Amino acid sequence: MSLHREDLGESAYEESMNVMMISSRCISLEKKMSYAIETTNLSKNYGEVQALNKVNLRVKRGEIYGFLGLNGAGKTTTIRALLGMIRPGGGNIKVLDQVIGPHGSGPWDRVGHLVESPAAYPDLSVRENLDVARRLHGIKNQKVVDKVMDKLSIASYVDRKAGTLSSGNFQRLGLARALLHNPELLILDEPTNGLDPAGIVEIRELLTSLARKNGTTVFMSSHILSEVDLLADRIGIIHKGELIEELDAARLEELRAKQLMIGTRDLEKACKVLVDYEGLSTQDGRIAIKDPRAVETPEMIATILVNAGIPPTHLAIEQENLEEHFLRLTK
Amino acid sequence: MSIMENFSSAFWAETLKMRRSKVPFFTALGFSIAPLVGGLFMIILKDPEAAKSMGLISTKAQLLAGVADWPTFFNILSQAVAVGGAILFAIITAWVFGREFSDRTAKELLALPTSRETIISAKFIVIALWTLALSLFIFVLGLGVGSLVDIPGWSTALLQSAFVDVLGSAILTIALLPFVAFIASAGRGFLPPFGWTILTVALAQIAVITGWGDWFPWSVPAMFSGAAGPRVDLLGLHSYIIVFIACGISLAATYYWWSSADQA
Repeated sequence: MSLHREDLGESAYEESMNVMMISSRCISLEKKMSYAIETTNLSKNYGEVQALNKVNLRVKRGEIYGFLGLNGAGKTTTIRALLGMIRPGGGNIKVLDQVIGPHGSGPWDRVGHLVESPAAYPDLSVRENLDVARRLHGIKNQKVVDKVMDKLSIASYVDRKAGTLSSGNFQRLGLARALLHNPELLILDEPTNGLDPAGIVEIRELLTSLARKNGTTVFMSSHILSEVDLLADRIGIIHKGELIEELDAARLEELRAKQLMIGTRDLEKACKVLVDYEGLSTQDGRIAIKDPRAVETPEMIATILVNAGIPPTHLAIEQENLEEHFLRLTK
Repeated sequence: MSIMENFSSAFWAETLKMRRSKVPFFTALGFSIAPLVGGLFMIILKDPEAAKSMGLISTKAQLLAGVADWPTFFNILSQAVAVGGAILFAIITAWVFGREFSDRTAKELLALPTSRETIISAKFIVIALWTLALSLFIFVLGLGVGSLVDIPGWSTALLQSAFVDVLGSAILTIALLPFVAFIASAGRGFLPPFGWTILTVALAQIAVITGWGDWFPWSVPAMFSGAAGPRVDLLGLHSYIIVFIACGISLAATYYWWSSADQA
């Protein structure tokens, strides 16, 4: 579109130009600000072992991103790379629009992290451990320590040496340090490790509240699928160093394979009759068919079985849960 | 946050870690053995009759010290700083750096607004101050012990030269500690720097025996202290230069490792 000063008149022309400038700024700002984490072809080798292979992650601001993978899949390597703790063999990393430098430089005043298991100085009290973190973050206000201890329910252990804490409270201390400076981005490796069921719910609610109310971006790795399923807006699945699938909640629903479960009095005969359908198997004395033709029109299957003289005793569409989906992908 | 504020925070954190541990107490206790044992030797040497009745201990004391006077006593102190310090100061350095790996806290120091270089600098400054304080502590303790034993040969000039000996031995020993820091970092714990220290102490003795001690950095502190004879006959300017070149290389290696190596 081209605008001409003489066609529009001076004031209308200037107004249009202003609108265009603002729109273009908004578009470029949106482009610029859209990702809290962005990796491009992130790769890492340890000798012969390829720990990460061209991982392209895009984590939007304000979302909770669940990073799933089996042990050794590359979750912690990815997290270490995001935090500048290891040098990638290839590719680029941007965290909060800042390229992670070769010497570990990054926007660390805006990032909170918990890598692998939490760690603290065992001879120092809970408060002293948090005070060390506060000072190294350049925060002068000492009250932030009290606030974060309240938030993580560890205020009653304030003078207790970190080395004497239970594993659950040690985990809370690690989370408290990650949250101390009210970061824009939280990078958490297995954040609910070691917590009791009540603690898991508490941390889940805390992370959800941070994302929804404060707009904090949460990138969390986990192997506890139900946890990720309950928390995450989007899920990335990493396997053998490759990001094999990335799905949002809606896509997750779509991708979860549906199957038609059929109960009949003559399983063998029913299998022969339905042999043309793909993905046919038997599970717990029932027939399971994954073929979309069967899933979309179960009445056709019923008709076929009735015509063959073996009417179905049970007909239901069942959906894989995330766990089954994950296991299928990572087989 | 300014560089000074960053450094002040890192320094505060390092001193807090030191104060809360038992290591300062035990290193001070361990190091205080030197002036106390030196004092015992002086008591033995002052009274040969009593020394004879003490058998082997007396013989050993004569072999080590010779005569009971302030010059000999100060010589023991400065050798204790150079030889004992090589081990004890290495333990302190290994603890300051190695504990970050044994406590798994190293990863908490990497992604912070306070740079890794600042944190490492704070660690080195704490080690230098701590080891200097220990050297001064045994010097002052030595003065007390020497006065109690009441040995002859005191003079203000001797005090000044003994202070230079102890301080010089301490500075040369401290200058070689960054190697220990580097080994503790790259080896991720306590054991590799301990192994390194034992190796350098053994090699230092071999270098002195074979006549190359003045060219071997780890022999220089002990030779400076007079353990192998008067230092003017044994050491040259090259000996001091080589110690500080070794110091520079090991400092650079430690900083490079923390800023660039994979922290897996």
